[in-house]
Parts: sequence; structure tokens; C-alpha cells
Amino acid sequence: MEWLRDLTGQLANIDGYILSYAMLVIRFFLPFLAIVIVVRSVRSLLREKSEAETWGYLSLPNGMRIDLNHWENVIGRAKSSDVYMEYPTLSRAHAAVIRDDKGAWRVYDISSKSGAMVNGKEVAGKDGLPIKAGDMLSLGGVDLVFVSIDEHSEYEQAAARTRPGVQYKQRTTLAFLTQFQVLLGIHLTVALGERASFAVPLSFLGLIVLTWACYIFTRSLKRVAFEVETLAFFLSTIGLAVTASSVPADIVRQLVLLIVSVLGFFVVGWFLRDLNRAKKIRWPAAGVGFLLLCANILFSETRFGARRWLEIGGVSFQPSEFVKIALVFAGAATLDRLFARRNLVSFIGFAGACVLALAVINDFGSALIFFVTYLVIAFMRSGDIATIFLSVGGAGFAGLLAIRFRSHIALRFATWGSAWEYAHAGGYQQTRAMAASASGGLFGVGAGNGWFQRVIAADTDLVFSMVTEELGLIIAVIAVLAILSFAVYSVYSAGESRSSFFVIGAVAASSILAFQMLLNVLGSVDILPFTGVTFPFVSRGGSSLIACWGLLAFIKAADTRQNASFIVKTPKPPPSSDIITREIIEPEIIVPEGEV
Amino acid sequence: MKKVKNRALCALLIVGAMVLGLGVYIIRFTINGRDWVSAAFNATVYNGGVLSVGTLTDRHGIALARITDGRRTFAENADVRCATLHAVGDLRGNIGIGALTVFAPQLIGYNIVTGANSLTGRGRTVALSIDSQLNVEAYRALDGRRGAVMVMNYQTGEVLAMVSSPTFDPANQPVISDDDPAFEGVFINRTIQAAYTPGSVFKLLTAAAAIENVPDIEMRVFECSGRHEVRGGVITCPRAHGNVTFDQAMAVSCNIAFGELAIELGGEILATYTERYGLSGRVTVGGMTTAQGNFNAAAPGTADLAWSGIGQYTNTVCPAAMLRYVAAVANDGVAVEMSLLRRSSPGRSTRIMSAATAERLGETMNHHTEANFPGLRMHAKSGTAEVGGDQRPHAWFTGYIANEGFPLAFVVVIENGGGGLAQAGPVANRVLQAAVQGH
Repeated sequence: MEWLRDLTGQLANIDGYILSYAMLVIRFFLPFLAIVIVVRSVRSLLREKSEAETWGYLSLPNGMRIDLNHWENVIGRAKSSDVYMEYPTLSRAHAAVIRDDKGAWRVYDISSKSGAMVNGKEVAGKDGLPIKAGDMLSLGGVDLVFVSIDEHSEYEQAAARTRPGVQYKQRTTLAFLTQFQVLLGIHLTVALGERASFAVPLSFLGLIVLTWACYIFTRSLKRVAFEVETLAFFLSTIGLAVTASSVPADIVRQLVLLIVSVLGFFVVGWFLRDLNRAKKIRWPAAGVGFLLLCANILFSETRFGARRWLEIGGVSFQPSEFVKIALVFAGAATLDRLFARRNLVSFIGFAGACVLALAVINDFGSALIFFVTYLVIAFMRSGDIATIFLSVGGAGFAGLLAIRFRSHIALRFATWGSAWEYAHAGGYQQTRAMAASASGGLFGVGAGNGWFQRVIAADTDLVFSMVTEELGLIIAVIAVLAILSFAVYSVYSAGESRSSFFVIGAVAASSILAFQMLLNVLGSVDILPFTGVTFPFVSRGGSSLIACWGLLAFIKAADTRQNASFIVKTPKPPPSSDIITREIIEPEIIVPEGEV
Repeated sequence: MKKVKNRALCALLIVGAMVLGLGVYIIRFTINGRDWVSAAFNATVYNGGVLSVGTLTDRHGIALARITDGRRTFAENADVRCATLHAVGDLRGNIGIGALTVFAPQLIGYNIVTGANSLTGRGRTVALSIDSQLNVEAYRALDGRRGAVMVMNYQTGEVLAMVSSPTFDPANQPVISDDDPAFEGVFINRTIQAAYTPGSVFKLLTAAAAIENVPDIEMRVFECSGRHEVRGGVITCPRAHGNVTFDQAMAVSCNIAFGELAIELGGEILATYTERYGLSGRVTVGGMTTAQGNFNAAAPGTADLAWSGIGQYTNTVCPAAMLRYVAAVANDGVAVEMSLLRRSSPGRSTRIMSAATAERLGETMNHHTEANFPGLRMHAKSGTAEVGGDQRPHAWFTGYIANEGFPLAFVVVIENGGGGLAQAGPVANRVLQAAVQGH
């Protein structure tokens, strides 16, 4: 019997060794997968070939043609105009020709000195005049023939444009993500041992199913790009691992919240799919947002020093997270609205009210995010540095008052930059964060093996350090770069966008994500004062996750690569016989001069 | 649209700020990560404030602190544990600056790739310069008296013995009440964290200053009648030494001769030398900074000035600083940075006095008597430091041996121990005999 016990003991030992080596291999392999996933996604976003869309053109008196590459085009003498012509009678930004969802075009006189006419009729008022193919557009004495392409040409153009996913197969990237999810799930299950129960492996299985279901659904809509979603799922996977490690019992709830978030992404996307619909819900969204904040002030409860929680029917959430989506809706605007100052004023009013409301409930982190988002939007809309500076001055004053009167904010500023001197007072969380992070090194101590999760807010406000501790600095930095890539892509794709509504929406949404992450990361490691905001997609919690996926829809809406985004409509295929008739259309367009 | 597109670039400011901030963080992470992981609250490598990884050994590889079954344990031998307590540290962090604390980064073996979690999970082994056997000899020689013993290799700077008494066994820490006289200041490492009135050992400094500043020092004859009146007081010797030369004054430790020299040199010069030789400032032993000594320049011509040259007045000196000084005298005037880590090459050196002064001073320290120090070529100075009231004086004995192959300097202080040569001398002898014979 003795030898038997010996043998089983040895076998158990060997088992233990194999298992610990397997864990080690996983730890060192995960960062590699993370790099592959993010690099493939980002390169696909930025490198895939994408031709400009052409929605029509203007024929100049000298016979030249100038393409209209957007739904919203400014015509003028300034180089920054979309249609740029050096006629001395033209104003710098003279007029705008704008197409709506259904393909109807209008002309707006924006700031011309010499006026604009369509077929001899003066363009006036904020609603402009409709214009259709073949109409004569006169701007300051310059006669232009307006030509829009028809549905058949639209279809042909769409068919000719390159679809993304050629150089970087989305399926392959997703397969890497699945590997990442499988290995992370295994590591967590083993490392957590009894704490894991069945919930952890099951939730990771659920996550993998959700990821692929989302991909298959996208493909069923004949959309081929999945980079933005892949990045968001990558981040959400890290988020699920964070929950598994800090509160294993909550992991199923977190998965359900993720499913709700992904559904929310599709819902917001559906709103954005139709520009008219999106424009219509701007102010209702703003109204609901403002009401939410008011309710927050009146009925909220205080947690960790800020009254940012609201409980309705047993579900508690942070209204300010959802108001971020409302802010982007309210801030985004089509080109015709950008030239009326009145529109900007009402937006400033809304943003200011939000910031004030957040200040009242002591949520200065969110107030700061709202303020910076406001700056981004206001600048995108007005391009007016003076307005921006004025509001910065006002906010700076308000900030001073805040520091003066809110002692715990003042404390955070007092310990800022010298957390180690206050390691047992104001710098408690940051010093723990740095000690835990450094303990993880580049590859981490392994998911589920950390101690930092025991520190308050480790899985929310300090999550960057928790990720560094458990998964290593490489994955933490890759997560940061993933969020930054949304902002870079939003800026990059702005040139191809159809409407300024989508450009402003995408840039504002990605700015929120990037700035919120900046506060989270740099605040938790004592490079900025600690403000207590969440890391997009990664921090544990529902409101933030849902808001992040909602904002993601704005980024997805700006993706005009062919068949890339379910939020961007593609022309329907015409009945097969019509395709041949396309040849006849071209001469028909050139005729109109005589008709006028 | 082009305008809006251009304005969109503003979002890149946020991206830039984030990249910049992240860059700063990564640089800090790379540079400071080592210190961050060494914070006592880092549960990756600490358990209840005690480092849970790494092994400390003495210079011969004998374990002084290691991990057994996941727990921090100490040397196997109880006397070794007691003798190395202050150099190593304890389980509760009461010993403020033991090697477990100071060398935590080395014990953790942090590197940026695997962080604090080394692949083996056991941390690193750090070999101290301490010889546990010498520590035990010193601990036994002190025999429960409050005091400090330190021995170092003056050529390499390695500290071979560092013993502070009273002490306790870290493996069986007794209950210590605050007013228990047997454990008075037990958590203090008296070799580095205390500064005592030096008494006559301070004459080593006055002598060095005299060699360099009194031109006819070699010709001088001091008249000692046992009592000498100076403005504001009287300088006394235990007995009348008669007419003594400089060497004789040193050998008999004549207060009147050194009082005269102090008055002649003046407070400013003495203060300058005290600072230059590191006796009034702080010195470092490995990563540990010692307690600060004290020297006040008294008014010219006064008894206070005379007494300050004899190591009384308001003078205090930390034993480790005194050791560094005599080690420099032994090493031709060059002070080698002291270290608690075993090392193969000398540490950073600083010349603090000329080779000629060191040689001359070394001659005056000749203390070779077979009766007291058999087999040792002893160069030393004793000190019996009066501490006022009805307390017994502190007993000091410090110097070096010139035996071939044993470049050892030492300092022994026994608090309220009585006569320097009589009380501290035998402690030094026992430790040095062990050092010479043990090899």
C-alpha cells in the first residue's frame, strides 16, 4: 500500500507541475494574442483600401467637373471648401449643397455676399431650396450645372468599391480573439479554483458565443467589417476577466450586462442608420438626459463620496453614463445647422446644464469628461477658438470654486504627484495600484492570482492597475491603444464621411472614451489627480459598459467603407434589366441648359 | 465637410496627451518598479508586512532568514538569531532597517519582465557580508550589556559583524513591555541608529587635526599636573602624567594635553575636521543611513572648547561613523564605503586624510600588549565617556589590527559600561581573536 500512496503522490506532483507550466505558458502567450488582435484590427481599419464615394458633380462653365464626395458639400473660394473655385465673385464659404437620406438635395446660402440662385430663383432662409439633377445653380454670377447620380449609378459605384476584410480576414482576427478568450477563461478557472465554480467557464463560453453571434448577425446583414466590434469585444473580455477575479459571483450578471450592451449598440446603430431619424431624436434624447440628471440630483444615493447612483425598480445605475450618449446626439449636427450660431448656443446651454448637474452631485470626474466632450464638439461645430476659450475660462473659475469648497477634491489635489508620501492617507489607492502593477511586470502574475482586487475600486476606478497586475503591462497598454485607435480611426475616417453629423458623433464619442480612459489610467497611477472614473469596456459595472457600447455605435456609423457598417445604408440592387439602361442616363444629364 | 474633417484633428490632442502620459508612466514603471514592489503592503511578496520571498545568508552561506513552508524563518541556531537580529530584521517590522527591509528589492529579484513574481516564486538569495560566527562571539562577549559591536574589512568595506544589545530571538519573540529595563531600546540597532558621547576616542580626531595644524607637534612637551585651570572651568586627568610628548599623551590619554591642543586649534578647525571625517554628519552602511553625530564649536579659550577636543562637552558620535573613521586611518586615509553585502571588489572610496597623517596617527594608536591582546597587532584608542549624573561612563574601544591578511577595523561601545579598556577591550579582543583564528 505504501508504494501505491507514493506513486499517486508523485503523479499528483507531476500533474501539479504540468498544470503550473501550462499556466505559465498561457500567461506568456496572452499578450502575444492581444497584440495580434489589436494590430490586425487597427491595420485593417487604417490600411484597407477604400475609394471615395461620389454622390454627384458640378459642371463648370469651362467644362470642368467637380465631384461631390459627401452628402454635405460647401462651395466657396476658401481652400477648405469641398468644392473650391477661384472666382472673385464667390464668397469664401458661399453655399452648401446637401443630400438627405432619401437622395433629395437642397441648396443653402450660407454666408454669401452675392447670393445664390437655383434655376433663377433666389435661395434664402434657413431651409434653402431643393435642387435636382440638371438644375442650374448660380453662385455670384457663376453658373454651374448640378448633377446627382441616380440609384443605378449608386449601386454600380457600391459594387465597384473595395470591401474591407480583403487584406485582413475578420474571421481570422476573431479566431485569435476566441483563443484569447478560451485561454483567459481556462487560466481564471484554474487560478480561482473553488472560487470560480462553474460560472466562470460558462460565462466565458457565453462570451465566445456572443462574440460569434454578433459577427454572424453582422454578416447576415451583408456587412463585412468587424474591427471596431472586435476591439470592443477584446476590451470587454478583459473586463469579464476583471469581474471573474474580483467578484466571481457577479460574473453571470456581468455577461448579461454585456449582452444588453451589445443589444444597445445595435439599437443606437439603428437610430443612426437613418440620418433624418437620428436628427429627430436629438432633442428628445437631450431632454431625457437632462431629466435623468435632475432625477439623479433629487433621488440619488451617495456611494464613495459621489451621489452618482440612481435606483429605479431595484436596479441601480449611473444616469450620467447614459447622458453621455444624449450629449453626443445633441452635439452632432448636419452641415446646414453648423452655420447658425443659435444652434450652437442651445447646445452650449445643454452641455453647461449637464456639467452643473454633475457638479451638484459631486461627480467631478464625469463633469470633467462632459466638459472636455463639450469642448471637442463646440470646436468641431464652430471652429471658433474664442468661444472655446471663453468657456474654458468659465470652467476654470468653476473648477477653482470646486477645489476651494469641496474638501475631498482638494485632498486629491494635495496628494497628487506625491502619493508615496501619503501612502497611508490620500495616496493609499494609487500606491497600492503602483505596487501591484509593478509586481505584474510585463506579463502579469496571471489572471485570478492578484491581490490588488481586494483594494476598494480595484475593478473600476483602478482597473488599469488590476489589469497590469494580473495580465501584465503589455496587455494593459494594448487595451489603452485599442481605445485610442477608436479616436484615431474617427479622425482618419472623417474625410470620407457622408455627413458632418456622423463625423461629429464619431469624434465626440471616441473623445469621451479616450478622455475617460486618460483620467482613469493617469489618475490611478498618480500622474493626474485621482478622479474616480471608469476605464471604458474594462471596468466592472453595467451603466458604463452599456454607455460605451452605445457610444461605439457612433464610431461604427462613421465607417463609410463599402459594406463595412450595418449603420451605413447600401443602395438596393436595381431590377436586372435596368442596369443596361444606365448608359442612356449620362447624356440625359447634360441636356438641361436648354430647358432653363 | 473638409472644414469639419480638419477640426476633427482636435481629438488627436486627447490621444497625444494619453500617449504622453502613458509614456511617462512606462518610464516611471521601468525606473521605479523596483521600489514600488518593495512597499511593505505589496501582498505579492509580503505577508503581513514580512517579506515572503528571498533568502538571506551570511558570508559563508549560512541561512540567516529564509522561507520554510511559505513562512519566514530565521537561522537554525538561537544564538545566531539573537546576534544577527538587528542586521537581519524581525517578523513584525519592529526592527526598522534590517537587511530584510533594506535589501527587499534584491531579495524580491524584481525585473520588469516577470515583475515581483519570479519564475520560481521563491525570490533571490542575497549573501550578506556578515560572518555569523563573529556576530555570535560579539553577542556572547557583550553578555547582555547594552552596547554595540561592529567589525569591518577596511579594504573592501564589508561589515563582518554588526551586533546590538539587548536583543531577542526573532523566532520566539518575547512579550516586551515598554518599561522593561532588560529590553531598553531593544528595537534600535545601536551600531547605526544611536550616537554616544565619545569621550577619549574623540582624541583620534583632535590628534589628526593637531598633526596637520600644529607645526611643532613632534617637539611638543605637555606638562600635566593632573589639573589645569582654563577660562570657565578646570581640565583634569585621573592622575598627574608629568611631562609628556604627543605620542605619550595619546598613549596615556592625557586630557590636559588634548585640552591644550583643542584650545590652540580652536572650535572652527575642530568642527571642520569633525565634518570632514564624517563624525558629526550621517554616513551610510549599505543602504542604511546612520544616526547623526554632534559637534558644537565652543568659544575660544574656554574649558568647553578644551572638553570638546577630549570628546566630552556636547559631542556625540555614532559607532558606525567612528568605525568608518578608524578604518580610513588603517587604510592610508581612504574611507571605503561600508556595505552589508558580500562583495569581491572594494566599494567606492573617498580619501578623507593624507596618507602621511594616517600613518602618523596609526603610530600613536599602537596598543600592542600581549597580555591584553595576544597575537594581535593592535592599534586602538579607548574611551571612557562621562555622561553626567551618577551614571557610569560609556566604555569605548575602537581601532584596527595590522595582522597580515586581516585588514580588520572595529568599534565596541558598552553603554554605561565603565572603563573603556577594561570593559570594551576584552569584547574587542574576543571577537578579533575569533576572526584571526577562525581563518
